[in-house]
Amino acid sequence: MTSTILQAINGVSFAALLFLLASGFTLSFGLMRVVNMAHGAYYLLGGYVGLTLAEQTGSFAVAILGGGAAIVVLGYLVDRFLIRRTGENHLAQVLLTVGLAFVIGDVALAIWGGDNLKVPVPPFLRGAVELPGGVYYPKYRFVLIFFGALVFAVLWILYRKTQIGAVVRAGVDDREQVSATGINIDRLFVMTSGLASFLAGMAGVVGGAFLTLYPGAEWEILVFALVVVIVGGLGSLEGAMVGALIVGLLDAYGRWLLPEFSYFVLFGPIALLMLFRPRGLFGTEH
Amino acid sequence: MDRSRVTVVIVVLAAALALPFYAGPFWMGLATQIIIFGLLALSVDLLLGHTGLFSLCHASFFAVAAYTTAILQVRYGTPTVFAAPAGVLAGTLLALVFGIAVRTRGVYFILITIALGFIVWGVAYRWSSFTGGDNGVTNVPFPSIGPLAVTSHLQYYYLVLAIVMLCALGYRMLVSSPFGLGLRGIKASESRMRSLGYRTALHLYVAFVLSGALASLAGVLYVYYNRFVNPVTGSFQISVEVALMAIVGGSGTIIGPFIGSGVLLGLRNWVSSFFELHAAVMGVVFIATVLWAPDGLVGLARRLRKRRTGIRKDPA
Amino acid sequence: MKQSALEVEQLVKEFGGLRAVAGVSLSVEAGQRRVLIGPNGAGKTTLFHCITGTLRPSLGRVSLFGRDVTYLEEYERTALGMGRTFQISNVFTELTLLENLTLAIVGTDRRKWTMLRPVRAFGSVREEALQGLEAVGLEHRAAETAQHLSYGERRQLELALALKSNPRLLLLDEPCAGLSPSERQRISRMIADLPRTTTVVMIEHDMDVALGLADRVTVLHRGSVILEGTPDEVQANPKVREVYFGHA
Repeated sequence: MTSTILQAINGVSFAALLFLLASGFTLSFGLMRVVNMAHGAYYLLGGYVGLTLAEQTGSFAVAILGGGAAIVVLGYLVDRFLIRRTGENHLAQVLLTVGLAFVIGDVALAIWGGDNLKVPVPPFLRGAVELPGGVYYPKYRFVLIFFGALVFAVLWILYRKTQIGAVVRAGVDDREQVSATGINIDRLFVMTSGLASFLAGMAGVVGGAFLTLYPGAEWEILVFALVVVIVGGLGSLEGAMVGALIVGLLDAYGRWLLPEFSYFVLFGPIALLMLFRPRGLFGTEH
Repeated sequence: MDRSRVTVVIVVLAAALALPFYAGPFWMGLATQIIIFGLLALSVDLLLGHTGLFSLCHASFFAVAAYTTAILQVRYGTPTVFAAPAGVLAGTLLALVFGIAVRTRGVYFILITIALGFIVWGVAYRWSSFTGGDNGVTNVPFPSIGPLAVTSHLQYYYLVLAIVMLCALGYRMLVSSPFGLGLRGIKASESRMRSLGYRTALHLYVAFVLSGALASLAGVLYVYYNRFVNPVTGSFQISVEVALMAIVGGSGTIIGPFIGSGVLLGLRNWVSSFFELHAAVMGVVFIATVLWAPDGLVGLARRLRKRRTGIRKDPA
Repeated sequence: MKQSALEVEQLVKEFGGLRAVAGVSLSVEAGQRRVLIGPNGAGKTTLFHCITGTLRPSLGRVSLFGRDVTYLEEYERTALGMGRTFQISNVFTELTLLENLTLAIVGTDRRKWTMLRPVRAFGSVREEALQGLEAVGLEHRAAETAQHLSYGERRQLELALALKSNPRLLLLDEPCAGLSPSERQRISRMIADLPRTTTVVMIEHDMDVALGLADRVTVLHRGSVILEGTPDEVQANPKVREVYFGHA
């Protein structure tokens, strides 16, 4: 019984991390029709930058902000000079950003080496909290759940309740419509993409503090994020949240009950979805 | 087929047949690998070049076939005559399952195949009691059927060459058949195909399974060459690299994926001999291909020739 | 009474609460030429898509040759003898005209599944494809890819594709849209010359073409049928003049 609950918390905290990554991915696709496979590499690189900053300054906050900011700069350059040249050719985007991820991964390996590295967590986030029933659980992962919920709330308000969000939503449905309102769509794209990059970089720092950072982590996390957006539906913020919870929980119970087949557990939701809702739970036609 | 392409095919075939007379063991090994990966790239291109579906899970069929054959041969001592077909069969069965991906198109298809591919990699990696985990399955023997046994890399090279040439002929037959024309019709306009009476999803599913079967055959050929198999064989990197091979060499052709395989594997071998960051170099090749040679080397050559002779590109 | 080729009963199609087609019933006898007219937004194209199987109706039934096809896919309806054209030319631009026609010919039989025999080994298919091209006057361009065709030629190829799936019921969505007067004449003559074994249902904006070809005309307005009758009756009807010709 307690294990069941612990696994649920594990799953939800992993979901919080996945949401950070998947929300950026899904928003870039929704608004800009950009499939950025380097998102995992952004995560890893952001984590490594944050790790170095944390070691230098001793501040976790600086690590999070710095890791995010570094990726914003990188992401801007990549958008401006590489992705924009692919137009709306998804095949080209996939190949290009996969190539970019290889470059980032290899350079990161040369700089930070091949060991598992852990971003140091400040003392007040270490240790465990006691749950009712005498069970102890790492404090950090609880905070992560709150953090994920907070980011979802902020994004949701931005997306659903503000003027700018209304424009982005209109852009997701119909891009010509946005151009017609006279809003500078380029600036909107840069902002959305910047936000997505920041979330990915930040996720790397946050995730690196409990999943550790290592070569190959970029692909492992990316696949989970992809399943999240497939399940949730490309371009949907709510979908990313629901998808993250489904994937996070399945993964946690999968690892616990069928450790050797934990990846296989992911296949179930994808297969069911493809049979009944090929565009995901919240997906629309594109 | 136009004359320049016939020339390329003849030159490549002659070079492949004569290779053992002028190349050492290192180059023979590389050539065997190029041919096998060329076959894998060809299988990817049956979907990419003919139906327009971009699959990024073909390393899965390749790996499942390789694992099946390896495990049967090494652990159960099954003879090649059963182990090799069993490998192809296992990979094809997986393709029958993964084929549900054809319910989706475009980006969704790409993303779903990536996710499916990772599941296979993850199982190969984690189910270590069966797959050997990170170490994989080692000491796969050369194939032998009754008294006919491959005893050297040279013999195996010719065996691979013969099988792959047969496959290329079969493939040529397939893509020039009404079925193959139907695939190109779906690529050009799926809605029109439906209105002409085609159950397009079934056509694509069959193409997917055939393509998976071909990838599985490549996997069996690979495991007897490589003598071992580990999770890397089924990794996303392999899936995406073979797709790049097809594009670099010229998607929609038969010789193209083999040329692409030669270019990419040759480049990697060369670069890794003096530069540590060879994964980054491969990454740069991906980026450069997309930016400057989206139609592969064939397209690039055509463009350069046009620019040199000053003929403007066709506006259509 | 003759057997009906197409029967539409109380068909409704809604898009998010908006009724594009609001309970249309139609019955087209075998061999008839029926033209659907109506102002923009009358629901003609939506109705058309529900008949072809591109869209699933929200309510109601569609039958072809006495068989309920409401839940059949488009390819299954084609197998029953339906052929269609698209409003915006939908031809295989990357394939040659001969290949275009070949796909149409083998689409309704089992030869489409042949995998180990090249297309060129099917001599009869080639003959038939050339005949199909000849019928629309494109035989001299058989070896060219369709992307080199002019707009008007694409319309002709479009029609050739629909005809080569050997339809008993031919559904045409504005076959003459965007054509020059001479091309328009050519296409309408081709439609008029079709054998009476082929039932034709077409959407047409051009009144001259529509009334010249039709045995009967159905006038749609805001998703409903407001009149059905012979071309003369329709032309004389004041209600039609009001909604369609835009003056009272």
